[in-house]
Amino acid sequence: MRTRKRILNSKFSIRNFFTAAWIVASAVAPAAHHAFGGEFDSTRPVVLKGPITRVEWVNPHAWIHLEVTTADGKKEEWMVEGGSPNSLLRRGVTKEALAVGTMIVVDGYQARDHNLLRANGRNITYPDGRKLFLGSSGTGAPADGADPSDSPTPAGRGGR
Amino acid sequence: MRNRTFALTGALAAALAIAVATPARVTGQAKSSVPRTPDGHPDLSGMYDLAMLTPLERPAGLPAVLSDQEAAKLERDIAEQERKARGPIRGDREAPPKGGDGSTGPAGNVGGYNTFWLDRGTHYSTVDGQKRSSIVVDPPDGRVPPLTPDARQRALKKLGAAARPTSDAAESNDPGLEPPGSYDDPERRPLGERCLLGFSSTSGPPVLPNYFYNNLHQIVQTPDSVMILTEMVHDARIVRMNAQHLPTTIRKWLGDSVGHWEGDTLVVDTTNFTEETRYRGSTENLHVVERFTRVDGRSLKYRFTIEDPATWARPWTGEYSWPITDERMFEYACHEANYALGGILSGARLREAEAKD
Repeated sequence: MRTRKRILNSKFSIRNFFTAAWIVASAVAPAAHHAFGGEFDSTRPVVLKGPITRVEWVNPHAWIHLEVTTADGKKEEWMVEGGSPNSLLRRGVTKEALAVGTMIVVDGYQARDHNLLRANGRNITYPDGRKLFLGSSGTGAPADGADPSDSPTPAGRGGR
Repeated sequence: MRNRTFALTGALAAALAIAVATPARVTGQAKSSVPRTPDGHPDLSGMYDLAMLTPLERPAGLPAVLSDQEAAKLERDIAEQERKARGPIRGDREAPPKGGDGSTGPAGNVGGYNTFWLDRGTHYSTVDGQKRSSIVVDPPDGRVPPLTPDARQRALKKLGAAARPTSDAAESNDPGLEPPGSYDDPERRPLGERCLLGFSSTSGPPVLPNYFYNNLHQIVQTPDSVMILTEMVHDARIVRMNAQHLPTTIRKWLGDSVGHWEGDTLVVDTTNFTEETRYRGSTENLHVVERFTRVDGRSLKYRFTIEDPATWARPWTGEYSWPITDERMFEYACHEANYALGGILSGARLREAEAKD
């Protein structure tokens, strides 16, 4: 019994050790993005809802345009910064996957230049909260693991 | 006792020397599966995906080699984190809090975008059958040697000048604002933001993963030259085979690379960097020697030794595997729509105008 307890303790400590080590490793991982503090204003949070009007499938950052109706009924076209499209293309997500008119919800922070109706896409989801491209049906989106019948390996990592 | 200690130390030193001096050993079995060009050299051509979990430096407390079980557990934990990050959130949410929610990660704090854009790697690098916890293998502690006092002095000076256009600078990581002057003109922005080189030394040399996305590299090999194409910012480095270095007056963003074969290993020697490249604060006299060894039909071993006496008191060495991928590389036309740089500069001008009012 005593031996068994010792083994359990040692397993526990190894597990904690690796968890702690990983946290250290994660903390130093780069968070690359074009100078957030230079481009966006962290004191101007926004939540934007509306249909997609255009997608600029470009580098270094993709931009998704949407039409937002303000409280007084005015229509504004906002554009939202995402990551590089290359990885999505590799996963099979093409520009056809995000049809004009698709309703989305975006939260993020407005550009430093408040004359610009631009924000970073901190979270970009469908109105029911599902992340864009992930787990959405009918868009050719990759598996997100929510469906137990899906392969556990994220799509687009073939050949590994 | 003294003799025994001496013998033991000697044996350890010899083992270490063998480990360090024989980076290109290829087993007989693997050698036969290495594809070759008509001139008999190993064919390094192919598309490689360098996304992986092994960091440059070993996290404190981790052993140099992870057991398969330890690596599998860490890989499962990361996969679980990714799975959770991809899960739905509230669709009827309000705007995020001012200044961010205080959490870490690209989507948790104020910056970034959510994880569907990212492709950070799913596994630890396997070298010589070992799951590695760091790219750095020498010094043996897996850490880059500390900067020399001179290098620290240089870094402080650069900090004062508010310019950090190094080849490995992250595009940013500034949750707030950088020091005054940082956004004054494009010349003061990191090379990655300016679409000159990929961030985190993706193009190198030394070539490193950026732990973010676009980690594909393509090698095209001819008898006279070898090209290494990096997806991030689409850098193409041409290695001239069996050639002399250019005169020191000619400086290049990626340095001047010349190559030769040592047995089945391609050795690439790079000098003549620019003052702006400054990998990890190095000078333009940075000297990088890379060794590419095709291990089998599906991977090559990449090893580099880097020296710059004005920056580090000793040379240091790293290695990791480049796995072949069947994926396609897409053009990364960074300049086609770099709205971000314009936004950064115009934001700074507005802040200046507001400060005058």
